Amino acid sequence: MKKYLVPVLLVLGGLLTTAGFIMAFFFTPPVLGPAITNEAGRILGYQPLFSQKIFYFHVPVAISSFLVFFFTAYYGVRFLMTKDKQYDTRARIATEVTLLFVIMTMATGILWTRFEWGRWWVWEPRLTTYFIMTLLVIAYFVLRNSIEDEERRATYAAVFGIIAFIDAPISFAITRIIPSSVHPVVLRAGGGLTGSQLAAFLIGMFGMLMIAYAIFQTRMREELVHDRLEALKASLEG
Amino acid sequence: MDPVLAEIYALVVPSLPYVAGAYALLWLALVVYIGMAYSRVGRIEKEMIVLEEALERRNAGA
Repeated sequence: MKKYLVPVLLVLGGLLTTAGFIMAFFFTPPVLGPAITNEAGRILGYQPLFSQKIFYFHVPVAISSFLVFFFTAYYGVRFLMTKDKQYDTRARIATEVTLLFVIMTMATGILWTRFEWGRWWVWEPRLTTYFIMTLLVIAYFVLRNSIEDEERRATYAAVFGIIAFIDAPISFAITRIIPSSVHPVVLRAGGGLTGSQLAAFLIGMFGMLMIAYAIFQTRMREELVHDRLEALKASLEG
Repeated sequence: MDPVLAEIYALVVPSLPYVAGAYALLWLALVVYIGMAYSRVGRIEKEMIVLEEALERRNAGA
C-alpha cells in the first residue's frame, strides 16, 4: 500500500495542480487592472490582468516552500533532542525540497514582475525577505559541506535550520506588516478572492502540497536505499 | 478592428509568453528533479541486487 502512496500522490498532485490552472483560465473571472478610457476620458472598461494567472501556481509553490522549510526546523529540533541521525537526514531532505520550491517560486515570480513592472527584480519587502530565505537555504548546504565531522555537521545544520526558518513567517506576514502594492494580502478574512478564484487556488494548493510530500518521500526512499547499499558494501568488504 | 478589442488584445496577448513560460519552468523543474531522483533510486537498487547476489555467493562458498 505504502509503495504506491508516493506515485499516487505525485499523479494526483499533478492532476490537481493542472485542474487548478485550467480552472484559473476558464472559470475564474479576470482580475481587472487600470481603466481603459477613450479620447474624451470616458471609461470604456478595465484592463484584464492576464499575467495574474501566474498567481494560481506561484502562490501554492511559495506556500509549499514555507511549509516544507518548517520541517527543516522541526527535524532540526528533533535531532537536537534525540541526536538521532535519521532526523538530520530528514532535515537535509526537507531543505533540499525547500530549495527546489524556492527556485520555482523565484522563477515564476520573476516572470510576473518582468511583465508587470518591466523589471526583473523589485526590492520590496516580500521579495527582499524571500530572497534572504533563498540565501539562507543555500547557506544551509554551504555550511553542511564545510564541516567534515558528521556529528558536528548535523548539530550545526540543525541549529542553522531552526534559526533560518525564522525568516519564513516573517516573509509570509510581511505584506500584513508593511503593505505592498506588488504583493497584496490575498488570504484574509472577508476574502481577497471570489469563490471560483479561491476554489482554483485551493485545488492548486492541495495538489502542490501532495507533490511536495511525494518528492520528500521519494528522496527519503533514495537515502534509505543508499544507506542499505553502503551497509551491504561494508559487509562485503568486511 | 474595434479599438477597445484591439487595446484589450494588445494588453492580454503580450503577457502570454510570461505566463506560459512560468508554468513551463515550474513543471520542467519538477519533472527534472523527480526524474533524477527516480533514476538514482533505480540505479542504486540495481547495484544492490548485484551486491546482494555477490554476498549470497560468498556466504554459500564459505
